[in-house]
Amino acid sequence: MKPFTYFIKLFGSAAVALIATQVSLQAQPSAQGPASREVVESVDERRSQYMARVREMQDHRVGLYRDNDFAGIDNSAMSILLMRGEQIEACNRRVLELMAEPGTGPFWMFPTTMVAYAGRDKLSDEARGAIREAWKTTRQLRGDTENHWVMYHAAMYLMAQMYPDEPGSEWWNGLSSSENLEEGRSWLLDWMDITTTIGQGEYNPTHYIGEYAIPLLMLAVWSEEPAMRQRSRMLLDWLFAELATVTLDGMLRGPNSRTDDTSVVERWYALANYFSWQLFGNIPAGEGFRGWGWGNYFSVLAEYYEVPEVIYRIAVDRKNDILQRDRARSRRIWRYAEEHMRPIYKTQYLRDEYAVGSHQGGVSDPIQSHVWDVTWSVDDPRGVHNTMFSLHPHSSGKVMQMFFCTYPEPMPHSVTFEGKPSYNSANKLLGCSPYEEVVQDLDTVIALYDIDPEANFPQVNGFFSKDLTDVTEHESGWIFARGGSTYLAYRPLADYHWQPHIRYPNGRDPTVTEETGGRILTSPHVKNGTILQAADGDEFADMAAFQTAILALPLSYELDPIPAVRFTSLRGKEIVAQYGETPYVDGRPINYRDWKLFEGPHLNSELGSRILTITHGPLGRVLDFNTLSSTDIVVE
Amino acid sequence: MLFTPHRNCLTLLTALALVWGSAARSTMAAPAYDFFICANVNQNYVIGSRIDTTNGLFQHNPANDTWQHFGYNDRTITALAFDPRDHDTIYTTTLNGIFVSTDGGESWKMTNSWDMTEGRDVAVDPQLPDTVYFALPDGVAVSTDRGQTWERRENGLPDRGKFTQAISPDRVIADRVLAGCEKGVYLTENAGRFWRQVLPTETTVNDLEQSPHDPDHWLAVTDSHGAWRSRDGGQTWALITDLPNDRAIYNATYDPTTPGRQAIASWAHGVWTSEDGGDSWTQRSAGLPENPKAWRVGVDPNSGRLYVSVFEDTLYYSDDFGRSWEPDTLAGSSVNAFISIRRENR
Repeated sequence: MKPFTYFIKLFGSAAVALIATQVSLQAQPSAQGPASREVVESVDERRSQYMARVREMQDHRVGLYRDNDFAGIDNSAMSILLMRGEQIEACNRRVLELMAEPGTGPFWMFPTTMVAYAGRDKLSDEARGAIREAWKTTRQLRGDTENHWVMYHAAMYLMAQMYPDEPGSEWWNGLSSSENLEEGRSWLLDWMDITTTIGQGEYNPTHYIGEYAIPLLMLAVWSEEPAMRQRSRMLLDWLFAELATVTLDGMLRGPNSRTDDTSVVERWYALANYFSWQLFGNIPAGEGFRGWGWGNYFSVLAEYYEVPEVIYRIAVDRKNDILQRDRARSRRIWRYAEEHMRPIYKTQYLRDEYAVGSHQGGVSDPIQSHVWDVTWSVDDPRGVHNTMFSLHPHSSGKVMQMFFCTYPEPMPHSVTFEGKPSYNSANKLLGCSPYEEVVQDLDTVIALYDIDPEANFPQVNGFFSKDLTDVTEHESGWIFARGGSTYLAYRPLADYHWQPHIRYPNGRDPTVTEETGGRILTSPHVKNGTILQAADGDEFADMAAFQTAILALPLSYELDPIPAVRFTSLRGKEIVAQYGETPYVDGRPINYRDWKLFEGPHLNSELGSRILTITHGPLGRVLDFNTLSSTDIVVE
Repeated sequence: MLFTPHRNCLTLLTALALVWGSAARSTMAAPAYDFFICANVNQNYVIGSRIDTTNGLFQHNPANDTWQHFGYNDRTITALAFDPRDHDTIYTTTLNGIFVSTDGGESWKMTNSWDMTEGRDVAVDPQLPDTVYFALPDGVAVSTDRGQTWERRENGLPDRGKFTQAISPDRVIADRVLAGCEKGVYLTENAGRFWRQVLPTETTVNDLEQSPHDPDHWLAVTDSHGAWRSRDGGQTWALITDLPNDRAIYNATYDPTTPGRQAIASWAHGVWTSEDGGDSWTQRSAGLPENPKAWRVGVDPNSGRLYVSVFEDTLYYSDDFGRSWEPDTLAGSSVNAFISIRRENR
């Protein structure tokens, strides 16, 4: 669920309306225009700009409560004020109000933990007592998802640390302080070990990155154990190094373990991009930090962290194309599959004006995955749908059962009212499918579909943005277009028709939709495929030249009985893909099992090593979780 | 004679219980059983928000025919079990794992480790009540100290395919337990130290029930692999051909008051009942909402009243075993389990 949806649920529409009406009144320099893409060479200047952004986010958040009316202040603004030592009495009053009706679960636990720590030597005894009482009396849920568990265990660990040596009768779960501390620590260490050996489960999430980064920052700052502080800080580096590598001008693109109906097309609209803004300064903020909900919590402690120069430069100082091949893992699979966690093989190819990314296809997360796209750069990405991709709109109660302890029927319907409004829609653009296989080589993608005819929606959807130009349906079967300066050639392998692209203005009501001006290419055939070739605007004199080049590329394919494509790409690579078989590039098989955890110009890690080497030019940092060391290196 | 609660399945019935029926109900001075449900009443909860409604454990109050909440407020409780010797010792499975109370629900302790999560079912061995079985999405854990500590006992369960939705100790033979898993029904005769498959299934076994009238009779229902019955204590199974098998059956129940009466709940196919020991079945959804989304069925052992929980609608009850239905209270509820326990054991 999107953090903003949680925010609405947690704090009510009245608070949101209040914030909305005041948003435009807050000073927000970063929302005034496109972000600078200049590399800031000076260390001091980078720090200064970073801290200016921290203050901007904080001031904006606190500024929502104008005229010293802090009656309805939320936990993030309260944490900011407590860290600053301001409005303590208002915070005392508000803590008492909030603790009178505590929430239940990790999205309540970590903000409350932040208030507890930010106010531990400032809040009144009564306010601190109210927080303590809530953790004694109010049952908390672990949740059922990896980000839930990070928040839950980090919060339990920190609260148990704050109140040590207390018996189980003083905690909601009946466990003593030491038992809670140990449980939290044990889970966190196990999760960190898995992540640094076989990869992230919720890899490259457009919104859930905050649910990892914020608890990690809290642990890095507030844990009393040097080893936990070090691990957490190193894992922040790990997380942000990958973010830096796979973002295009600060924008996180696909593939994504989880995204949402808005972010999958408006790539700028994602909390992940708050972190690019905060850490790298290379993407503009939206008015009122729209879409960047949890960022204010990171800002509370942001002064205690800053990415090392090597990560900063990966994000902003790009002189060469990036080809990164990395592993991750699927969400945990309880049943109806032979693997507990599927390995995910991600290919990322980033150029100056566009980027292409994918994983191999199949199911990764049952609801919110995004498998592949080409995303192009624009001067100001706010409101722009700067991406193109296709998918099978898969919806299945049985697949839900693979990942959740649920029954076949209720969940496909219920999730559409829980922040995933498109899930049961034939026209959706969000999600992965067991009937999709994807091959990528540089800026060429071949997606093949062999869809069960009994599947809910036996069709392929292709996204054609409202922001495309020069869209031409060529008699050859290719569809040509431009996205920004990027040339795009999209080849549907079966007949299609067009439908309007719709958005869901209310994530909790799938019945309310609006047309965006974009289109969905709908191809109602179960044996199907898409070929996409991107090229830089500088490579061709004009669209006609690009078209001529594409039409000259050798292409043969068949759909029945098994979809198969043989295509020589614009880069001269012959790609052979057949559904269900190992793909080949220039006669060599793509052996995913040989892939490392990270392999590319900036990130490298052997599978199972717990060591990540981050490099940019002569700069390097080695994160070694075996020795808990973070070592800056110079590459000769 | 030992009486053991286990979901909507009761322990041995006395001859007195056998003659209980609707005709006799009005003459009974006091109910012989306590009757409980685990209910989720909150329809719009998301993790992190405040719970606005009262959820979890409810006990039926026969005096005014209402449901009284006790224990903690949690919308994720999936199952409930009592220690038959001491009804103040209560086990509940939840999203977090398992919570144990030894003071009748006043206080609770989460006793599972972090790697046991999303508890599906819990059951006490009635012959060895210190032994408690805990069904998990990745297997089975067993406690021999009344739920204070747990160990995995999964030898014989498949590495993949041990999603365990239901666990049901034999009420007359100690250490003998059936587990309803993704790949079938598994039997242990040594308290989980070794399991063997006694019924292979293509989809998850959602419920296992032992007849309160004959301990050799069992029912098993699955996601989309039909309903099955055993007449030899779960050693062999036969498909119930009268029941639909294209969609999930979520649970099954026996009527403790009347031998031969059985019922199942199916989201797609509604309520079906049998009154001849499972030989023939009839759909009994007339009077329920259209497309009833039957979530669970259960029988009050005091009255023989048949209940059906219609998903996020309410409870309905029938005093003629499904021929007609009336709405009960708990609007908006989904009941995850019906449990009863004989009062004399309290």
